[in-house]
Amino acid sequence: MEFEPKIVGFLCNWCSYAGADLAGVSRIQYPPNIRIVRVMCSGRIDPDFILETLIHGADGVLVMGCHPGDCHYIEGNLHAERKAKMLRNLIAETGLEPERMHLEWVSASEGARFAQLVKEFTDRITKLGPSPISGENPNKVILENLLAAKRTAGDFRLRVIVGRERELVEDKNAYGEKVPQEKLDELLSEAIKTEYTRNRIYNMLEKESLSVRELSKRLDLSTQDVLTNIVVMRKKGMLGVERIEGTTPIYMSLEVR
Amino acid sequence: MATPKKEIPRVGVFVCHCGINIGGVVKVSEVVEFAKTIPDVAYAEANLYTCSSEGISKIKEAIKKYNLNRVVVASCTPRTHEPLFRNACEEAGLNKYLFEMANIRDQCSWAHMHEPEKATTKAKDLVKMAVAKARLLEPQDEPEIDVTPSALVIGGGISGMTAALSMANQGFNVNIVEREPELGGMLAKLHMLCPNFEDASKALSSIVDAVKSNQKINVLTSSEVEDVKGFIGNFDVTVKKDDKPLKLNQGTIVVATGAENFEPINMYGYKSNENVLTQMQLEKLLKTGDLRKPDKVVMIQCVGAREEKGRQYCSRICCGVAIKNALIIKDLYPETELFIIFRDLQTYGQEYEACYTEAREKGVHFIKYTSSNPPEVSSNSEGKLTIKTYDAFLKEMVELESDLVVLSTPLIPQKDAEKLSKILKVPLGSDGFFFEAHVKLRPIDFATDGIFVCGSAHSPKDISESISQALGVASRAAIPMANKHVRADAITSIINEDLCSGCGTCVRICPYGAIQKNEIGIAQVTSVVCKGCGTCAASCPEKAITMRHFTDDQITAQALAALEG
Amino acid sequence: MADSVLVIGGGIAGIQASLDLASRGMNVYLVDENPSIGGRMAQLDKTFPTMDCSICILAPKMIECSRHPNIKLLTYSEVQEVKGSAGNFEVKILKKPRYVDEEKCTGCGTCAQSCPVEVPNEFDMNIGIRKAIHIPFLQAVPLKYLIDEENCLKCRLCERVCGAKAVNFDQKPETINLNVGSIIIASGFELFDSTKKSEYGYGRYRDVLTSMEFERMLSASGPTGGNLVRLADGKVPNTIVFIQCIGSRSSKDLPYCSSVCCMYATKEAILIKEHHPESEVYIFYIDLRAFGKGFQEFINRARDEYKIKYIEGHPSRIVEDPKTKNLQVHYEDVVEGDIKNIVADLVVLCPALIPRKGNEKLSKIMNVQLDELGFFKAKDSLLNPIDTNIPGIFICGYCQSPKDIPDSVAQASGAAARAAETIIQATQRGKR
Repeated sequence: MEFEPKIVGFLCNWCSYAGADLAGVSRIQYPPNIRIVRVMCSGRIDPDFILETLIHGADGVLVMGCHPGDCHYIEGNLHAERKAKMLRNLIAETGLEPERMHLEWVSASEGARFAQLVKEFTDRITKLGPSPISGENPNKVILENLLAAKRTAGDFRLRVIVGRERELVEDKNAYGEKVPQEKLDELLSEAIKTEYTRNRIYNMLEKESLSVRELSKRLDLSTQDVLTNIVVMRKKGMLGVERIEGTTPIYMSLEVR
Repeated sequence: MATPKKEIPRVGVFVCHCGINIGGVVKVSEVVEFAKTIPDVAYAEANLYTCSSEGISKIKEAIKKYNLNRVVVASCTPRTHEPLFRNACEEAGLNKYLFEMANIRDQCSWAHMHEPEKATTKAKDLVKMAVAKARLLEPQDEPEIDVTPSALVIGGGISGMTAALSMANQGFNVNIVEREPELGGMLAKLHMLCPNFEDASKALSSIVDAVKSNQKINVLTSSEVEDVKGFIGNFDVTVKKDDKPLKLNQGTIVVATGAENFEPINMYGYKSNENVLTQMQLEKLLKTGDLRKPDKVVMIQCVGAREEKGRQYCSRICCGVAIKNALIIKDLYPETELFIIFRDLQTYGQEYEACYTEAREKGVHFIKYTSSNPPEVSSNSEGKLTIKTYDAFLKEMVELESDLVVLSTPLIPQKDAEKLSKILKVPLGSDGFFFEAHVKLRPIDFATDGIFVCGSAHSPKDISESISQALGVASRAAIPMANKHVRADAITSIINEDLCSGCGTCVRICPYGAIQKNEIGIAQVTSVVCKGCGTCAASCPEKAITMRHFTDDQITAQALAALEG
Repeated sequence: MADSVLVIGGGIAGIQASLDLASRGMNVYLVDENPSIGGRMAQLDKTFPTMDCSICILAPKMIECSRHPNIKLLTYSEVQEVKGSAGNFEVKILKKPRYVDEEKCTGCGTCAQSCPVEVPNEFDMNIGIRKAIHIPFLQAVPLKYLIDEENCLKCRLCERVCGAKAVNFDQKPETINLNVGSIIIASGFELFDSTKKSEYGYGRYRDVLTSMEFERMLSASGPTGGNLVRLADGKVPNTIVFIQCIGSRSSKDLPYCSSVCCMYATKEAILIKEHHPESEVYIFYIDLRAFGKGFQEFINRARDEYKIKYIEGHPSRIVEDPKTKNLQVHYEDVVEGDIKNIVADLVVLCPALIPRKGNEKLSKIMNVQLDELGFFKAKDSLLNPIDTNIPGIFICGYCQSPKDIPDSVAQASGAAARAAETIIQATQRGKR
């Protein structure tokens, strides 16, 4: 049977959802693979929703909002854009093709554009093939990675940076200075990498208590990397020592909120 | 959050044929049968038109008969039909927020007309997704808020004064805030009015007198609105009058700030030659009687309007104004030769068209130019003006000499429109004018409840059109004031104080200033100000914010339902 | 009741005025001579310049009217007599028999299925057909069938099949007496008779249509299901020509500009291009009038993105090829100065929109003045565009002067404000 991708769309009520309606009213035909979830504003779309949808085997997730300047809520769409940027970086770490998540702007009068974008996205995903974590034999590594990515996206530090990005770059921080965009991007990508690594460690230890050496082997990380992160994670109360085998401490995840 | 004892969901699903609009593509009976197999669906049926009075009564009957506590309608788009179905639920005693829609027409049958199988599968998925969300829906309240029966009118021109008078006559108190020392706005600068040549000062003085003598109207001149807080029914307005702040509590706000005239700097010799005027300057000469008899007058239309790039819009009134002033000059000085160089003459309706006919009969010359061949104005050492223009009827360049060149320039948004739009948190369109809630059917409302717009603040218009809109606003604004209360929106965010760390991210993100930290540093939402976008909830580092009716759980459940099976 | 308002005309203007008044707690009687409210806007496919689907944005308002506890709909009804003055008008309404009991009819349509009589459907500008027992259109409000007496055979089949026993051939005209404090007239417009322009062959050539006929054809719920076809041979038209100012801006016919035609023609042209991007669309105009908010931008888009060709001038005549049914449109090219012609598959005429014939009767009944063209005359067209010569009677929408939907909506709200003022002040006088 031909591959029929499963695509979930998250659309804002005012522009993109109206654009999708207009495509229908205008009888513009497009592939029937997309299933649309309506939210009031693209700014409402928590990175969690997208990762959760991908974890459950969606072949693609299409996020749509108003064109910049058109947002019914002034700039919710710009917040959506920042979240998408963070997510692209994060998904790239997991081994899943980052292009499975895509953000586009569609206005209420752009029925044809909506249909065209959906068609293009559906075609792209069809070429890409089924999501590696869908179907009978999901790729366990990528699935594990995505679960770690989801925890990462929920991390306080990442959410603060993403939530405050516009303010920090465009307005001023607490010291009356503007943060250059490059510097913030650097900070964000460092935070993504570190938090992602920590969450992979955390998720791994949640299932099974392990030593640093074993962790480094399973996660394909240097022992130095693992050790540095474990120190921080212990301070945060995320990990504890379950037992000591000989001289080797065996770590376990602690329940966090 | 402490949730009350959860009732077991009993979802009713109503699948609409919409005549053949859905039924012609999607196998509706299959969708109904499928719906019956979804967990917690207690009842499902098909309707020819769920939105008909018959369909509505069927929903109401089924709610009672099958003891339904959630309703899903699979039909068209919630953007147009959700209110109708919600009301049906409410009339059957069900909280209207326990309703969800599946869009199987606009986003399914109409978009996949040649793939009935796949469209049917998609319709089933959409119903499943709607049910998944419906199961998690919770009843919501729309708290009632008292409305102060008093309106703030910003702008004391003809629009503002007309709106104020009508509201006062309906029994409401009105405060007019006018930045100039006198009422009158643009009207005060005009000579005679289009299209019936009424004396502007006479028209103005009669309405200014009516406003000033009305006991319900308080006029604040030399005043500006500095700050507006609050919401429909209870706006806390700070007005600066003579540099002193004045606090007002107002139920509704009317924006009637008008427009200003574009000044054509560096165009057609304006400013460099004193005989190149704008219509506004000509108007002044006519009003004061200072226009000396010219032998020839050339008027050029669309100066700074209908541009290819930049100011694309047509300013609506300039053709009428030019013809009116040409006729006035003809009356004063019958020998004066008059030329109106235009692109498309916008003399719409009855009266402007009649003026155009009259002008042609009285010998005013009309020359059509094209945007690719605009006229050129040059002057010799004595200040005599030469106008070279393409004549689209003769299909050749013509040259005119003239004593006076009058430029018809468009009305443009007020300089401080942007400032006011920020104070009121209402949008401007791409043309810089205030942008209404809906171009067709809500032309004088803003999307923000309780704030309205009329006159040229909305887009260029003549006096009669401004008066119509101003009276319209007097009706729109009167509705909440006459009812004495409004219902607030239910779809707002709420903060779980136990989880909030007081980081303030939401406070900065909220575009409406609806979130503030309380005295112990915890964020709090003013729900009547919240517009329900949910950006705060999606960004809260502690995930301490719940967006009512669009909760994390509801959205995720809806999305994941698409992936089952 | 004296705190009630009579609204005459259930188009968008009448609907807006009624909803405004009802939402503030006043009682409204909304009278329409047609069997459904909705007026002209209900016949439109889309609206310019936002391309909103017309019935989609209108239907919720129509339904709100029918459901509002403060609004009483009196459809298929006419105003017969008005007496009294502001604050206290006595009105006689004649409700024509539908021969279907509105209380019992469920709108299921079984009756129409069995009805053997097929007649042209007026709502579809006579392109489509309907039965003698019918509703004017699918979204009609109220959704109640009626029998068109003129064409009914009295075979009584409908009576037999109606499960709700709603058919009642014994129904008689009914006179309803109302007492209202104020009256709003929103009677709308009708179309100039395009057969008067014999040079264009309307009425003789099958595929010379009026814009309203074409609008119905574009409408997905219209007689061709939204498919663009030639009525002569069912082929998809490739070259389509619009001609503006049919009967308007003319010393012979009507001197005024109908104000909306340049824009709706542009809208219809864009819709053609959206249906069939390869088609050629021409619009002949005298002056391109795009004076409203966002209109010029709309025209620019039509010209630049949709490649719609605007040609200045008025064609001299149209000649149909009797074999191919193609239409030769002869015109003078104003730019190049030659006589040229375009071979069109379909021609759309944009006729003047004119005051309704019924205005004269209404004017006599209420002593309200008409202008020389037959529009209701405002007390002062500049400073008092909503009041009439009779205090307490107000006008709004196209029946006052040519205007588009948003201007009609704004003015309708204005009429509601004036009516409310009248009633509030009459009540205060009464108290004193």
